[in-house]
Amino acid sequence: MTALHTNAATDTTWTTKRGALAQSASMAARSLASIRHQPAQLIDFFMIPLMILLSITFFMGGQMMGSWQDFLQYAGPTIIAMGLFFAIVATGLGLYGDIKEGVFDRLTAMPVSRFALLAGRIGADMAKHAWALLVVGGVAFAIGYRAEGGVLGTAAAAGVLLLFLFSASWTMALAGLTAKSEEQIQTWMISLLMPLAYTSTIFVEIETLPGAVQWLAEINPLSALADSMRVFLDGGTPGGEVLALFGWCAAIVAVFVPLSLRAYRRRLGD
Amino acid sequence: MRYAIEVRGLKKSFGEVQALRCVDLAAAPGTVLGVLGPNGAGKTTAVRVMSTLTRPDAGTAHVLGLDVTTRAAQVRERIGLTGQYAGLDPNLSGEQNLVLIARLLGASRRQARTRAHELLERFDLAHAATRAAGKYSGGMRRRLDLAASIVRRPEVLFLDEPTTGLDPKSRGGLWEVVRELVAAGTTVLLTTQYLEEADQLADSIAVIDAGRVIASGTPSQLKQAVGGQVLRLSPARPEAAERLVQLAEWAIDVKARNEDGTVVVPVANAGEAQAVMARVGQAGIDLAGFGLDEPTLDEVFLTLTGHRAEARDDERTKEPAA
Repeated sequence: MTALHTNAATDTTWTTKRGALAQSASMAARSLASIRHQPAQLIDFFMIPLMILLSITFFMGGQMMGSWQDFLQYAGPTIIAMGLFFAIVATGLGLYGDIKEGVFDRLTAMPVSRFALLAGRIGADMAKHAWALLVVGGVAFAIGYRAEGGVLGTAAAAGVLLLFLFSASWTMALAGLTAKSEEQIQTWMISLLMPLAYTSTIFVEIETLPGAVQWLAEINPLSALADSMRVFLDGGTPGGEVLALFGWCAAIVAVFVPLSLRAYRRRLGD
Repeated sequence: MRYAIEVRGLKKSFGEVQALRCVDLAAAPGTVLGVLGPNGAGKTTAVRVMSTLTRPDAGTAHVLGLDVTTRAAQVRERIGLTGQYAGLDPNLSGEQNLVLIARLLGASRRQARTRAHELLERFDLAHAATRAAGKYSGGMRRRLDLAASIVRRPEVLFLDEPTTGLDPKSRGGLWEVVRELVAAGTTVLLTTQYLEEADQLADSIAVIDAGRVIASGTPSQLKQAVGGQVLRLSPARPEAAERLVQLAEWAIDVKARNEDGTVVVPVANAGEAQAVMARVGQAGIDLAGFGLDEPTLDEVFLTLTGHRAEARDDERTKEPAA
């Protein structure tokens, strides 16, 4: 070991003012850095949405709409959305793991924005979702899906999907900060996210649903998402469904960001 | 500012378990305060309160004159923490871990890399800079953890059992680093289960048991209180043990114990040990062996509290509400 004077040599009174967003970026980069050590993770990120898309399209699609090609054209993109929606659980599990392992103890005792510690995890997960969307979307295209809305419509649909995933991830941040075990987070996913997905217009047209479920499907945020994606992909004129989706996203963020920050303070620092 | 760390009447309960019943601590700037105690004594909870991670139920804690509950943000600017569980990302390399912390603390990319390399060099980790921290050995991980807590040189550094589970060589290496930091003006609060560690590093020691400070003072004061060293005598014939206890107690004014045929005699200095040995020689008792040792934490506890550290632990597990 070298002597202390090297230790004293470097000035460590850094004055660069890095705000919460820059700190979030550092934290996001940290979550993504593990990919370099385990590149196989890149496959993990898209396996579940890919399998959901392929299995539903090929095994059930024909029965639901006559031919799997028709089903893919109608529900392919929204089923990809559903697969990615289930993947937001990774945010909860990741935060839970960080806190359990003690990584967050040091970070919490540092002058770092609490928002950045949470947003960093979500930011990194968004990059993973975007990657999965690219791969699974590519597969859908390869097996015959075509968007009438063209490149612009596809980009807009991907944009609203990612926006929704970002908002919904904050619910999982709260879950990760308040859960007592990893199993609990998994249970929440099965009992909350799945029913939400199945009572929306992801698979089916709203008119085919029984009365009470129709009402549920209409107020379901996933219906707003599915309808918005379809409008853009089909090259239609965006209207109420897109406004409803933006409203949902704003509401979820407005409620769950403060709740998550409060849960964070309760868990660490209180 | 008289004290860099000043804690008064700290209390904290988790449900029915009283982790801290009444803790007072004080460390002058530029000194090392050793907090000595067995598992479950409340050491970690006390460190978490002082490093702004846990809010106390009662009492006050000031670090660098700042109240840790009302001015937590300012406290965080000036402290470093190495928790009992490594605060590292196992998926990041040693270098990435240090760079991340420097970046979060406001270093530019370049400054962060310079500082990381300097610390890796300093802590003998340069060869493992790009390896994932999760693949480090226990000693390497501890070193990286300590490096991480001084990325920006802290004015007060909290080390929660920094050497638990380390081999003697790694332990010595960490002690050396702590001494250097203190020489450069850092105030260190270190918790430990090892009396020797507290003795080696600390300017003052607080012994903590069941959430209470039961003794405090300089290492030499504390050792005097517990008898400094212990003389162990193993008689050639086990039945002579009781006779040895008597002889030792006559030779010097002390309470000796017979522990399964080995007689343990607390002694303040070498002279007392000689006096005991002389008495045993006069009585003509054959010894199979003898030795002069530092008292273990267990023996410190036995002397200070009348109960053993480990037994105490068991009791608490059974009766958390007591």
